[in-house]
Amino acid sequence: MELFYVDEQNSEIITWNNFIDQINTTKIYNRFCYNSSIYSVLKHITISIIYNKPIILLDGDFTIDEIENLTGEREFSRFEEKLNQKLIKDKNELIKILQHESFDKWSLTLFTSGTTGLPKKVTHSYRSITRNVKTSEIHKNDIWGYAYNPTHMAGIQVFLQAIINGNMLVRLFNIIPSLLFSSIEKYSVTNISATPSFYKTFLMSNMTFPSVKVITSGGERFNESLSLQLKKIFPNARFKNIYALTEAGPLFTSTGDIFTVENTEMIKIEDNRLYLHHSLLGNFNFDDEWYDTGDIVEIVGNNPLQIRFLTREKELINVGGYKVNPHEVEQVLLQLDEVNDAVVYSKTNSVIGNIIVADVILSKPITEVQIRKFLSSKIQEYKIPRIIRFVDKIELSRTGKIKRI
Amino acid sequence: MDDKILQIINTVLTNRGKKTLEVFNRDLRLRDDIGFDSLDLAELTVRIEAEYGIDIFEDGIVNTVGEILKKIK
Repeated sequence: MELFYVDEQNSEIITWNNFIDQINTTKIYNRFCYNSSIYSVLKHITISIIYNKPIILLDGDFTIDEIENLTGEREFSRFEEKLNQKLIKDKNELIKILQHESFDKWSLTLFTSGTTGLPKKVTHSYRSITRNVKTSEIHKNDIWGYAYNPTHMAGIQVFLQAIINGNMLVRLFNIIPSLLFSSIEKYSVTNISATPSFYKTFLMSNMTFPSVKVITSGGERFNESLSLQLKKIFPNARFKNIYALTEAGPLFTSTGDIFTVENTEMIKIEDNRLYLHHSLLGNFNFDDEWYDTGDIVEIVGNNPLQIRFLTREKELINVGGYKVNPHEVEQVLLQLDEVNDAVVYSKTNSVIGNIIVADVILSKPITEVQIRKFLSSKIQEYKIPRIIRFVDKIELSRTGKIKRI
Repeated sequence: MDDKILQIINTVLTNRGKKTLEVFNRDLRLRDDIGFDSLDLAELTVRIEAEYGIDIFEDGIVNTVGEILKKIK
């Protein structure tokens, strides 16, 4: 029995035959995908591709208010449509379809933290989203550890890389550490792509994972000491860093912190800011020739062009690879009658890059628990400040240090 | 010191809507027994650093409550 997807936390074991049967028996399609089950999202994406229909991915943990803000809808049943069923014979036929058809009516829309308040909507075509998928004999036996949210760019990339090569996926995302470690061993995972925060979990394992051959890291900066420790834990692995944007997909890879740019005419660096040519981008509200990534880089070599990422100019806070827009959180806090003013900023720590802190000035009494309850009805869990301080005045700088909590 | 750490752990648990600890046991494992995830541990380390000025996760290897106490001694 050839496995397609395993999730030890939910005891889901899906073979390729199960997967294809479930696709073949699906009769109704909805372009909106709002589901908290990883497997269901992956199946939904696959069906959308095969039937050449657009799909809009919404995080399973978005609140109904967030959904309404993004889509204008609170409920999606009226978008259901009947499918003219196609029957897929087996795994090989599915892979062949995915590799060779163009799916010109398919599009994938997802949302990324915008810089001005609301998340930004980005739409990709099949060609642009599979630009970096590598298919060849050497990838035939890869076994992927699935360590990203399937509704985000990185998770979609890993999924497509795996399915187009007929690989098995093992869920590693959001599971308890003991299951994480045992899943890698049990299924002999060979490839993992994840954030540095995710890899930090392995430092407490006291184990080695010889089956892993490639470790890819992205979403946050990777520091040298973490990399040295991980080399002992994954003794047979090659280490790769990846720079990707939701707006464009993966762009550059590197082995250390220096990225080599192959397609130099597609990027521009001005005053140390990195700009991308519009042909690299998916579709969103953008008409200029060059797109400002907000990333500050330094050029460390020419021929080939080599760059190192220094910092982001944007105010987005990176919480373990998830980008949070502080303005969005502040606006939700200000909806409370009791809150007079609020500032949201980050506090760095050594477990995951940053956590979110809010300083709040009250006009009437309210407890921290009540504020949290309100926030969790409005925004996703990772956006909710982990520390809420009640203060008399707001400090001006978002990066101001906290002396006492 | 034990009381203060227990109080910090319970603050993190309360904020997540999880059941607080009643007895303090140095052998409790932060992830497997108390049920902290990475974000919880990040919050815990920021709160402890604010109180004691020590980053308990600096070298990445703190698994139990007892190991926290050792670090802040």
